[in-house]
Amino acid sequence: MTSKGVGNGQKILVVDDEHMSDLMRSVLRRLESDGFRPIVVAPEGPHVSGDDYEAQALFAMEDERPAAVLLDVRFGEYDTDRFKGLSILKKIVDRDSSMPVLMFTQYTHGPYRDTAVMASLNVSSSVDFIDKLASPEEVVLRLRRLIGSAPETIKIGSLFEIDAQNAAVYAIDNGRRDLIREIQGMKLEILNELAAAFFRSEGELVPFSRLERFSEGEDSRASLRVRIRELKVALGNAVSREFGATELIINVRNRGYRLVQPVD
Amino acid sequence: MSDRSSKLLRIGGASLAAIGLVLVLLSPVIGEPISPGSLWWIEPVAYVGAGVFFLGAIASFVSIQLASRREKHGADDRSWSQVTQDYFDTFAHDMGRPLRRILGKQREVRALLNETGETTPRMVTELLDEIEQQAPNFRLMIENVRVLVDLEDEYAQPAVEPVDAAAVILNIADRYLPIARERGLDLVWWCEPGEFGLVYTDASALDHVVTNLVDNATKFADGQIEIRLTRNDAHFLVRVWDDGPGIAESHLVHVFDRGWTPELSARREKQSSGLGLFIASSLSERCGGDLLVESRQSTGDEANDHHTAFTLSLPLDNRPAAAK
Ligand SMILES: Nc1ncnc2c1ncn2[C@@H]1O[C@H](COP(=O)(O)OP(=O)(O)OP(=O)(O)O)[C@@H](O)[C@H]1O
Ligand SMILES: [Mg+2]
Repeated sequence: MTSKGVGNGQKILVVDDEHMSDLMRSVLRRLESDGFRPIVVAPEGPHVSGDDYEAQALFAMEDERPAAVLLDVRFGEYDTDRFKGLSILKKIVDRDSSMPVLMFTQYTHGPYRDTAVMASLNVSSSVDFIDKLASPEEVVLRLRRLIGSAPETIKIGSLFEIDAQNAAVYAIDNGRRDLIREIQGMKLEILNELAAAFFRSEGELVPFSRLERFSEGEDSRASLRVRIRELKVALGNAVSREFGATELIINVRNRGYRLVQPVD
Repeated sequence: MSDRSSKLLRIGGASLAAIGLVLVLLSPVIGEPISPGSLWWIEPVAYVGAGVFFLGAIASFVSIQLASRREKHGADDRSWSQVTQDYFDTFAHDMGRPLRRILGKQREVRALLNETGETTPRMVTELLDEIEQQAPNFRLMIENVRVLVDLEDEYAQPAVEPVDAAAVILNIADRYLPIARERGLDLVWWCEPGEFGLVYTDASALDHVVTNLVDNATKFADGQIEIRLTRNDAHFLVRVWDDGPGIAESHLVHVFDRGWTPELSARREKQSSGLGLFIASSLSERCGGDLLVESRQSTGDEANDHHTAFTLSLPLDNRPAAAK
């Protein structure tokens, strides 16, 4: 599954001397297919050093105003540039302490380095580490969460759009958005809760304990079940479909509910 | 000898010595001279005082010696940890180089095949998947070896810091979701309560233990994997559950043994290293918690709900008492 468009055209500054490698190319490709705009720092010249990357990265930060930075720890094979990424990190954070930075480390994430790096930074800076061998999908997921802010609207496949701010759910039909009026109040709250988890991570489910406040009566599970069924019917009606037990909103092993991408 | 008993010995020794000294000095005043005229020679209080003084002095001397030896040892250990850490950085970087290249090429091939627009033969995708899956294997292996070396160091302390436990679990779920999907498994995770908050623990140990559990689950599950994060008054719990064939009761006592795999019991050649659970349970204990297993074996009967669940339990706040 790809969640196309989650990137919303946000710029990601990529600072890595191996940006031409196959491995990085797969990450860049994934960023693009997920709707991000990777901006690759690539200094030119006969002898490019870590300093050149640093200078150009800092310039691009001002110039492009990226939403996040993807930064390698190690630059080149020279010992002097071994931890160049960490010094670039410090300069980036010094300039903009709120800039999300995802660091590529091709080493094990031992407690010493991470802790040492984090301790030298501002508490509020959002810096995270990821193994260079991580799958492109993992990189994008992590980056997306690091950027943090959930978008104003969350798309469920190509069928629905949920606008939590304005308390509205839309059915999408050929690019047109139709408000689904029936979904309001508690049903909307349930849908918001499910959509937020869906956006955060594909595998996350919302346990009953978190949904039961949106139900009433003695048997809260049963009342929740009814609400979910009504919700599914309302969503289905809006797009002239009928969603089965294993579609759209599913009960996972009686532990909670989860939104799944509807198949077109 | 523990820190506390050596401190006790030092303080006790010092006070004994002080009492002894006082007794010796006061002996002319409070003592009863047995034979007048030779005051110091036969004064019993002075004798007792001197004895007590020497006893105390010896006790403090021994305890100070012990403490300084420990300190020296501690310093050596720290640099040893540092040395192994550096060694592993280089090791992982250099060992990883060929793998990074292979992995990169594999992804490039995949992209090229995608671009042609034709459907790729199933066999080819399966081969590519196989290569892709070596990446998490390699990551876990390197980390397992690093932790194994670290566990040899009995003085090493867990690096306790404020940790967003839900975020750690979320990252692991992200890492294993693509793998689970490729194997046709449904991986779900959740935490209760929803706003889980911070715990004080060793983040990299937590990550490592749960990664090992999830890695096993993806190897054995039939279709479902669940990761659940909960808490009670004093502990937080991570349960990793899978609907795989389960573990035989006679094997349950062995799963945490170093190097044990079922082949070992059947006297066949091992298929894996059998280190994951040993490392996971040792790390859990080092972090003040424990790791438990519960499993029901498959009987071949449809209705039989065979499964395996590992539950990691760690203190909510594992800071030393003074830091709380
Ligand atoms: N979820 C599980 N379901 C069934 N059996 C399991 C499960 N987890 C572990 N085991 C059994 O316990 C054994 C030991 O597991 P452990 O993780 O220590 O080693 P390993 O997975 O064999 O090798 P390594 O983790 O070092 O690569 C496994 O070989 C397997 O037989
Ligand atoms: Mg294992």
